[in-house]
Amino acid sequence: MNAAALSRAERLSAISKLVDDRPDEQFFQVDRSIFTDQSVFEAELRYVFESTWNFIGLESQIARPNDFVTTHIGRQPILLMRSADGKIGAFLNTCRHRGTVVCPFKQGRQKFHVCRYHGWAYDSSGRNVSITEEGSGQYPASFTNANHDLVPVARLGSYRGFIFASLSPDVPPIEEFLGDVRVFLDLVVDQSDSGEVEFVPGASTYTFDGNWKLQFENGLDYYHFATTHSSYVDILRKRNATAAPDAGSTVEPKGEQEGQGSFSFDYGHAVNCRSKRAQLYGRPLGMDPARLDTVRQRVGSTRAKWMLRQRNLTIFPNLQVIDILSAQVRTWRPIAPDKTEMVSHCLAPVGESAAARTMRIRNYEDFFNASGLASSDDNVMYEFSQSGYAAAAAGPTQGYLRGAGDVGTGESFHTRELGVSPTEWSFGPTTFGGETNFHPGYREWRRLLQRAAEQATA
Amino acid sequence: MSGEMIDAQRVAAEALLREARLLDRGDWDQWVAMYQDDAVFWVPAWLDEYDVTEDPATQVSLLYHDARRGLEERISRIESRKSITALPLPRTVHQVTNVEASSIAPDEISCESVFSVYVYDPRTAKGHSRHGRYQHTLKRHGAEWKIARKIITLANDNVATVLDFYSI
Repeated sequence: MNAAALSRAERLSAISKLVDDRPDEQFFQVDRSIFTDQSVFEAELRYVFESTWNFIGLESQIARPNDFVTTHIGRQPILLMRSADGKIGAFLNTCRHRGTVVCPFKQGRQKFHVCRYHGWAYDSSGRNVSITEEGSGQYPASFTNANHDLVPVARLGSYRGFIFASLSPDVPPIEEFLGDVRVFLDLVVDQSDSGEVEFVPGASTYTFDGNWKLQFENGLDYYHFATTHSSYVDILRKRNATAAPDAGSTVEPKGEQEGQGSFSFDYGHAVNCRSKRAQLYGRPLGMDPARLDTVRQRVGSTRAKWMLRQRNLTIFPNLQVIDILSAQVRTWRPIAPDKTEMVSHCLAPVGESAAARTMRIRNYEDFFNASGLASSDDNVMYEFSQSGYAAAAAGPTQGYLRGAGDVGTGESFHTRELGVSPTEWSFGPTTFGGETNFHPGYREWRRLLQRAAEQATA
Repeated sequence: MSGEMIDAQRVAAEALLREARLLDRGDWDQWVAMYQDDAVFWVPAWLDEYDVTEDPATQVSLLYHDARRGLEERISRIESRKSITALPLPRTVHQVTNVEASSIAPDEISCESVFSVYVYDPRTAKGHSRHGRYQHTLKRHGAEWKIARKIITLANDNVATVLDFYSI
């Protein structure tokens, strides 16, 4: 083993140890440098984002032959497209000739993608169909015999219309990767009678000057809501006081316990849920009682009850799906240790009524847009946290232990209702705001870095 | 110009410059009073490199309010001193130019203009600009002209942290 490999293995191993996880001692903390350090950032891009499954889009975004969207896995540009004969493919969005981005557009429909630099052309299945002036190119045999197609991702899989891809072949099958978090995707998708979801046109992109893990944590954090979003809660209360109860309001069935909690799963995933008798806002699914009845008959009253509860899914490392007063799909792209780009979509079941759709859109704009009344507060808060992380001399933060004194394992009333087997779960009163649901993401982060360290010495 | 004809260009320019001044000074009450009760305040989202959303009922906008109440809620949020986005409030300078107004009905003016807003955030000591096009519809209420509709097409739609009514 050479010194460089050893030192890389040691460095990765040292980075993985920045997550200090001792469940037997009910102890968990992370070092502040995982939010600020450039070498940590580079390691996690390479060995976390670019070494596992990432969400890259919805099948309905590329519903027709030759449809495409562009996105990223970690730093790497991705072209997701449907071929002329309907097959979904995902490719590194880079010309085989000189590396130029082949498709510079957000979305569209094209049979061919022609590199603007020297004119090499690819069809929508990624196949190279033209090398400009190949005949006069005096190419050696090594070139002529080489494959010139767009380079596909190592693994591609989908579940209920959610497409995932990995740049590394060293990943479990997508079904195993998602595990029981699939039940929570079902609760979103099965709100559609045809079992299809779509993005409502009008996605937005925004940035914040903070580390991506601030968004990862926040999406699982019910503790911040009452303080960070108090100005938004005031607006909701005022609306409810001055107008009739919000359209789409639903109530919990009698006898249900109010509270909030979480489920942790393998490979970094976690889900937050909340049941509360008096809601501050309605739900699109509650807008049309006849349709809700149809859904209830189709999925059963237990699943319908869970569909009407707030659920925040984190599918590690880059996806959050939030189903509340509207539904959001948000993904993040780490740009630098202190800069993150977010893409936010309004998610909707295909086939809901026009009134439910419009309500979904208004609620989404209100809550989730960076130009809205809630996510904007989160974004500024991330920046305050990021500047605060510079106080390394203050040592690790204390933000990972709510709920750590009473972590649930095995079955619970809720896991039986949902038919899920989480590695851990938590449940508490509506003021609980547990933080143990951050742990699975960090455990997966650490596992991937440790794996990289082991592979570096292999 | 006949006595019957309104000077649409002058009326519109006055309204636009007054609106810009009130926003930059944080005179929110006077600013929002420029809007009709049922005023539409709309910032479409970009669908791709070329087109913006056209139907707020079926597409997501960056901001969409179909009543002045939505703007009043945003003002109350800022004034509550509970929203971290306004603690401190960024300082803005609106510049409005290329005003082209025309009278489209006896009591109605349509106006196109362009804007750039320089936003400086004392929290971070960083600045950025927002720029795009305004489309105003003004309606006469007695002696007063009010904003019935304002569409803001934001050219740089990759939002840095926060976007709100005062920074566009």
